[in-house]
Amino acid sequence: MSRFRASAAKEWPLVGFTLLSQIAVGAFWTIAAGLLLPGRGPAIHLTVRAFPALIAVLILAAALSLFHLGRPHRAVFALNNWRRSWLSREIVFELIFLLLLALLAILRWRKAGSPELIQGILIVSAVAGFAFLFSMSRLYMLNTVPAWRGLNTPLSFFLSALLLGPLFVAVARRIFFQTPGFFGPAAVIASLSAVLLIVLIAILFTPGIGFLGVKNATLAEYPVSRVYLFLLFRFAFLAAAVLGIVLAAKGRFGGPLNGTWLTVAFLNALGSEISGRFLFYAIYNRVGV
Amino acid sequence: MSGQAVRQYGFYFDSSLCSGCKACQGACKDKNDLAVGVLWRRVYEIAGGRWKKNGNVWVPDIFAYFLSMACHHCENPVCLPSCPTKAIFKRMDGVVLIDTFACIGCRYCEWACPYGAMQFDERKRWVTKCDFCADYLDEGKPPACVSACPMRALEFGDISDLRKKYGGTSEVFPLPEAKTCEPALVIKPHRSAARATKETAEVENWEEI
Repeated sequence: MSRFRASAAKEWPLVGFTLLSQIAVGAFWTIAAGLLLPGRGPAIHLTVRAFPALIAVLILAAALSLFHLGRPHRAVFALNNWRRSWLSREIVFELIFLLLLALLAILRWRKAGSPELIQGILIVSAVAGFAFLFSMSRLYMLNTVPAWRGLNTPLSFFLSALLLGPLFVAVARRIFFQTPGFFGPAAVIASLSAVLLIVLIAILFTPGIGFLGVKNATLAEYPVSRVYLFLLFRFAFLAAAVLGIVLAAKGRFGGPLNGTWLTVAFLNALGSEISGRFLFYAIYNRVGV
Repeated sequence: MSGQAVRQYGFYFDSSLCSGCKACQGACKDKNDLAVGVLWRRVYEIAGGRWKKNGNVWVPDIFAYFLSMACHHCENPVCLPSCPTKAIFKRMDGVVLIDTFACIGCRYCEWACPYGAMQFDERKRWVTKCDFCADYLDEGKPPACVSACPMRALEFGDISDLRKKYGGTSEVFPLPEAKTCEPALVIKPHRSAARATKETAEVENWEEI
């Protein structure tokens, strides 16, 4: 009903911020899961540039988010209301996650810290990353915006991390690991699982058309045909990503992965999530006027 | 919130009197020197109806009414906790204001408010809203919109007094349920408002709002 609709094109800084943040957190979870597996010494296979690379992705995400603000030079004020505002909490947890990554980067660079200490920091950082993504999804779950307040929001945000993070690590494995191919199978399994869940969530929860999605007049302003078009793009990209993953693995999920096909898979998965995120902002419509 | 509110200012709007002249909207824009595209008070035209067969003749069976809406200085404002910078605050008299120095223009409050009260000013680069003419209130004068209404459809005062005096509701199509944020607003609905909730009605002429 409202005159004001978050124009999807206008929200490109938030599309960039949310997706890059989810890539960074998902990639960190992948690395941390690998390093915490029994039998692997912490950080043995990790390159010195692994954590700085994730920090760079997060800083790029934060820089993009500034384009969303009317007065970016006062962005630091966004920390003020952390007791009540999920937006403040999102920034607080992002900073905590960044600082922990910086600590890990320094420890890796100086070859300092006991295995137990590094394991502890990895676990705390993984939790901080979770809190960051949870706050990010929670801030959109406004009571006055039916299309955003459901399960669709957190599920789609976490699945973006699960799809793009492991693929990012697999594609940029030379940045992250001294042993090429490390974590390849994990990336394949994680990203294929994410694809299945994303399709399922899209069918079930897409506002307006999903079987369990919000169906009411507050979505009436956005044409359903465009929602289908966005979903078509999304599924086409996902299908191409799956094909890329299968070709990269040559049908065998235990061996080394083909880098070119992995890159194709990652770019298509990214295309899918960009389509999905633009759709997310496009269907904004609050109750009232 | 600046301590416990000692009173809660609110608006009374008589939709049955409003002719849609938009004098309130113009007075607000003039008093506050608002930029193009920014309207702290907006007059919505709601219309609906259908063709009805009367004997052998089809006749229009239509209705229309107006709602003059601004920030309702809610008793439980949803904009306030959403603001990451604490720029939005409530005065002791219930008036909700924005600290323009603290606002970073994230527009999160604009997403949250179901009354469209929060308006981003592209010229200033921060969010603006009706301030209940707080300067006039402090001088003991009524808000500009109230003074300007030629039909006397707008009134202001302590919301508990207005509720006692007029009863009424704050839930008229297309406004949200009052429990969303407990607006300090009393509306005397137009006689057609009941039809709007049952039949297909729409806000018309968005370009004028």
